[in-house]
Amino acid sequence: MVVLRAKCIVAGDSTVGKSALVQTFHSDGSHFPKSYTMTEGVEVCVKSVVIPDTSDTVELVIFDSAGKEIFYDHVKKNWDHPSVVCLVFDLSSEPSFHSCSKWLERIRNQKPEIVLPGVLIGNKLDLEQRRTVTPKFPMEFASSHGLEYFECSAKEQQNVEAPFYYLAQEFYKMYQTKAETITSMAM
Amino acid sequence: MLDVALASAGAQVVLATSSDENFPPENIIDGSGSTFWLTTGLFPQEFIISFTNLMNINNIRLLTTNVEGLSIERSVQNEPVNFEPLTEKVLEFVEGELQSEDIQVDATTAHHLRFVIKSGFDHFISIHRVNVNGSAVH
Ligand SMILES: Nc1nc2c(ncn2[C@@H]2O[C@H](COP(=O)(O)OP(=O)(O)OP(=O)(O)O)[C@@H](O)[C@H]2O)c(=O)[nH]1
Ligand SMILES: [Mg+2]
Repeated sequence: MVVLRAKCIVAGDSTVGKSALVQTFHSDGSHFPKSYTMTEGVEVCVKSVVIPDTSDTVELVIFDSAGKEIFYDHVKKNWDHPSVVCLVFDLSSEPSFHSCSKWLERIRNQKPEIVLPGVLIGNKLDLEQRRTVTPKFPMEFASSHGLEYFECSAKEQQNVEAPFYYLAQEFYKMYQTKAETITSMAM
Repeated sequence: MLDVALASAGAQVVLATSSDENFPPENIIDGSGSTFWLTTGLFPQEFIISFTNLMNINNIRLLTTNVEGLSIERSVQNEPVNFEPLTEKVLEFVEGELQSEDIQVDATTAHHLRFVIKSGFDHFISIHRVNVNGSAVH
């Protein structure tokens, strides 16, 4: 039995629903913040994910980061040693999707030589009438940057856990591969 | 002078911030470079080696992978408290083999050594051996 720990950076434009997603996931769906409270800096919470068919756990240390540009200098200071990345945009806001490449670059620049598993999340899937981003472009963007694409609704608690489970599993796989590589290297 | 950081010489790892039963911290002091302690994510990481008693030490050798920023502190107390800085290193990345780092410490004493790994070239770093050349203070 092992407990791994991964620093999960959640980034994206303001009001796309990062805090809503994180809080819904963290509370197992019991808490969705209906009214908007701007994140000023970084809010940290921890959520354990059990890896299926094992007794192993990945503790995601989630860094819910402010999307408003004025906080970026402060946010950046909390982004050292990222383990996994969670990029969020709003399916009803095209500009928020286009910002994802900027956010990804900012996180990867922390340590360009390190492989960072990541997800791209289109949120607010419940606002069907207002949807402006079709799956095509986010899917292309995701695959060209080695990310896995998800669509979800924090409000309706739809598909919220899947991206975090994916990140936990990818981190777990990296650990296992590393353990094997080092074992054979040290023989 | 002998390697005093060996379980067989009475040394113990009294603290380690990661624990996977397959790669326990005791592997650092078992005298073998093929077994290792593997960290399980996040930085910084640290471990403390306690000797049987206060030692004169002059050289520390580390066998590792993916360690970048490292600092070593020493304590001369009976309990592992009141650590003071001994040395700081930035290691180089080595591909496909272990990093071997020789650290000269000007004749000093220590009862406990704390190793803090501040950053790595990967998410996970491994420590295979810590050799501490020393002898008991009489
Ligand atoms: N309809 C709908 N609204 C949502 C959803 N997720 C979040 N919201 C709403 O969107 C607003 C902004 O959500 P937040 O989670 O605070 O946004 P944020 O990305 O954390 O914003 P910053 O902290 O400023 O970066 C809030 O009013 C939420 O209730 C969703 O899935 N569907
Ligand atoms: Mg927020």
